[in-house]
Amino acid sequence: MDSQGRGLSESVWTSLDRKAGAVVELTVRQLRNKVSTWAVLGLGTLLMVLLLVFYIDSVRDGFESIDNDGDSFDMDNDGYPMGQEWKYGTSDWDGESFPGSGNFIFQGQIDWNDPDRTVSGNKTWEGQAILNASWIDYDYTGGTWSNIIDWETYESNDCDEGAPFEDWWLPYASSCLQEDGTYAFNGRVRASGQLYVPEGSYLSWGIFTEVFYVEPDPPEMYIDEDGIDWAEGASGSQGFDDDGDCFRIGWITGDDWWEYQHEPDANRNGIPCDVVWAVDPVTGEVISIDPDDYVDEDPVDEEYAGESSHRAFVIASGKIAFVLLLGLFLPLFLALGLVRDETERGTLHYLLSKPIHRGEFIFYRVLGYMAVVSSFVIVLALLMALITSLIGPGDDLIRFGDFPVWVGIAAATILVLAAYGSLFNTIGLIMPKYGVYLCIIIGVWEFAMGFTSLFAPESSVTFLSISHWGLQMVDATVLAAWPDTLQYSQMSEAFGIDTGLQWIWKPPVHTLGTGNPYISIVTSITFLSIISGVLISMGSAIFRRKEIM
Amino acid sequence: MSTDTPAVILESVSKWYGEVIGVNDVSLAIDGGVTGVLGPNGAGKSTMFKLLLGRLRPSQGEVRLFGTDPWESTAPFRRVGYVSETEPLYEWMTGLDFVSTMARLHGMTREEATNRAEHVLDFVGLSDVRHKEVGKYSKGMRQRVKIAHALVHDPDLIILDEPLHGCDPLARTSIMSVIRELGNRGKTVIVSSHILEEIERITEQIVILHNGRLLALGNLHAIRGLLDKHPHRILIETESPRELAEAFISRDPVYGVRFPNPGFLEIQTSNLSAAHSILPQVIVDSGIRVRSVENPDDNLDSLLGYLVGGD
Repeated sequence: MDSQGRGLSESVWTSLDRKAGAVVELTVRQLRNKVSTWAVLGLGTLLMVLLLVFYIDSVRDGFESIDNDGDSFDMDNDGYPMGQEWKYGTSDWDGESFPGSGNFIFQGQIDWNDPDRTVSGNKTWEGQAILNASWIDYDYTGGTWSNIIDWETYESNDCDEGAPFEDWWLPYASSCLQEDGTYAFNGRVRASGQLYVPEGSYLSWGIFTEVFYVEPDPPEMYIDEDGIDWAEGASGSQGFDDDGDCFRIGWITGDDWWEYQHEPDANRNGIPCDVVWAVDPVTGEVISIDPDDYVDEDPVDEEYAGESSHRAFVIASGKIAFVLLLGLFLPLFLALGLVRDETERGTLHYLLSKPIHRGEFIFYRVLGYMAVVSSFVIVLALLMALITSLIGPGDDLIRFGDFPVWVGIAAATILVLAAYGSLFNTIGLIMPKYGVYLCIIIGVWEFAMGFTSLFAPESSVTFLSISHWGLQMVDATVLAAWPDTLQYSQMSEAFGIDTGLQWIWKPPVHTLGTGNPYISIVTSITFLSIISGVLISMGSAIFRRKEIM
Repeated sequence: MSTDTPAVILESVSKWYGEVIGVNDVSLAIDGGVTGVLGPNGAGKSTMFKLLLGRLRPSQGEVRLFGTDPWESTAPFRRVGYVSETEPLYEWMTGLDFVSTMARLHGMTREEATNRAEHVLDFVGLSDVRHKEVGKYSKGMRQRVKIAHALVHDPDLIILDEPLHGCDPLARTSIMSVIRELGNRGKTVIVSSHILEEIERITEQIVILHNGRLLALGNLHAIRGLLDKHPHRILIETESPRELAEAFISRDPVYGVRFPNPGFLEIQTSNLSAAHSILPQVIVDSGIRVRSVENPDDNLDSLLGYLVGGD
């Protein structure tokens, strides 16, 4: 082609550029002149500021040590923390049972049916009986709650006339003196002598081990006392039960069904009280952590919770605030009326009587909207990135490693904004009047699918939503930028570190079976771009064939 | 694009909106000079323009704008400027801003657009207020800024839908002179109106639409001549109508008189121009004071009545 031909094609292209530029610029200026634009952008900013305030507040408090297994509490108020009671095998539900309180060892009983109803000896007795005592331990005194006979308030409590436990009944933890000098009692008593159990009554007996004094441990001893024992990078059986609450057998009082059943080999690898770690031999990243109960369950929180919480915050902000909220609300307010409002206001003909193809016009309009919302999202994401990476945990002044994640969040949000923008603009064209209702219905669907994707990203019904692909892109970027997020997430779940990371982040689904986050990123970008392209083409095709009054 | 194709061709064009007929079997060609499109509201003027601008698709027939179907291609809009009858503008823009933005939609650079906008705003007489927001413009200024936006790319064809509607007399005069000037510069200008007098002051070449049909096409004077031969009324307000009636009744073009209201005389004539030529002399000769003379039939309605009814 000669220079003239080139000149012609150049001039066609540049004038197309100019027209595109003019439509985009006009759209941006129109959006800037709408109150609703500023209102919705302002609300978006406010949302981020609130999140930051929340974040700064939690960071300023620092990541305090958390008693992950709850064994520093003293549930029965006997002065001994739960962990100490577990060690001694006493109950943290019964205030009379504590380290050094003495163990009751059962020896025998007379039940309702036994023919021989007399017994003698120096024991601790419990039940209903008539006691001919040679010695009574009046210091062993209690009340209704412990079922030990209350000797402190007992003076001379004479029994009523008639046969005890036949003509009359004693209340629990009480006793009375009969005329013949014997005691009738209902409860627990420590005494030496001969006992008769009336027909229909029950008595058991045994001995208490010696009572001794145990210094109560300070509760702090039971916080962060069982750290994660893992040889960095090692697979297989790891972990050590530092505080002994897994190895300790029978530390849970009673066998009642509602009480927690201790399972020293929950991961069923044949080794009690260990943790099975699975490490990817290629990448060296932790894939899964499967602990036995009460092993490594109370690690030092500063080490793990700080990083996990920071990541959970960044991911939650990205997924919920950026992709779901901004992604849906910005286009609802800014894209629905892109062309529809021009028709309604009657200013569309200024634009349509120009030599611009109507299909192109739709594209430039959406481009103008994208210019506004993209710059907004980029600025917000950078702001969030700067502030959180400055004050986040870690030794460096700035967490540079966070920036790729924020770039991914911004990119995912922008792609989602393009998809929704194209969709809502097209709906505005087809249904100028009632389109907003359809958009709201779509919004509800997208929210539902978005939240389902948070918790069950592999559920295939969510693939039918735009939000799913945006969220997947964030998940994938996180894994690409912070490959050890899987490890932190597994740690949070395995060792009960309550940071929310395991809820807000799941490994990306669309890796085509490779587990490679970059494949998931490419899949999501492709999918979202195709959605936007198809929707813009649909809008263009409809608009090209639309008669405009 | 060849320059010898007429700017506008309509061939048996009809447009229905469901049951309603917008334009019915209209065929015409317009090229060069100022053409007035006359017709009462709902006659199909706006529908015809929207067909020309590719906003509506003809139900039947063919529309050609510089030889191209405007529904299929936006290419002819390079050479067309359109002033719609709708009011809204981008109120927040200044006049210069609005016109130069519209120029950029034609593919001009920013500088080109600004220069052209300054030029056309000067042409329509808005250079003083070009930095003022359009929202603060008067009705006449708004019409003129709309005209300026349609002229900014120096089109060969300018379509103005009711450009004088709602303007005050001063604005009307200036808009009319702008339109006449465009005609003098060799542009093809199409102006619509439902007021005969307005069109008469701009052009002689007219198209009359009624109920979607093309009623007449040609020179306004020729059409008016036909109208003059038609029974016409002249209404004279005077203190002594009966005495004045005596003076008129004997004259040739006058075939009847009526007294519709006290103080009014109505002269009936079959030749309006002949009646008007004797009118001053008769009044002077009679010595009777006359307050006003009106032609109640000299409007579009009676013209249409004549063209439609033929009586």
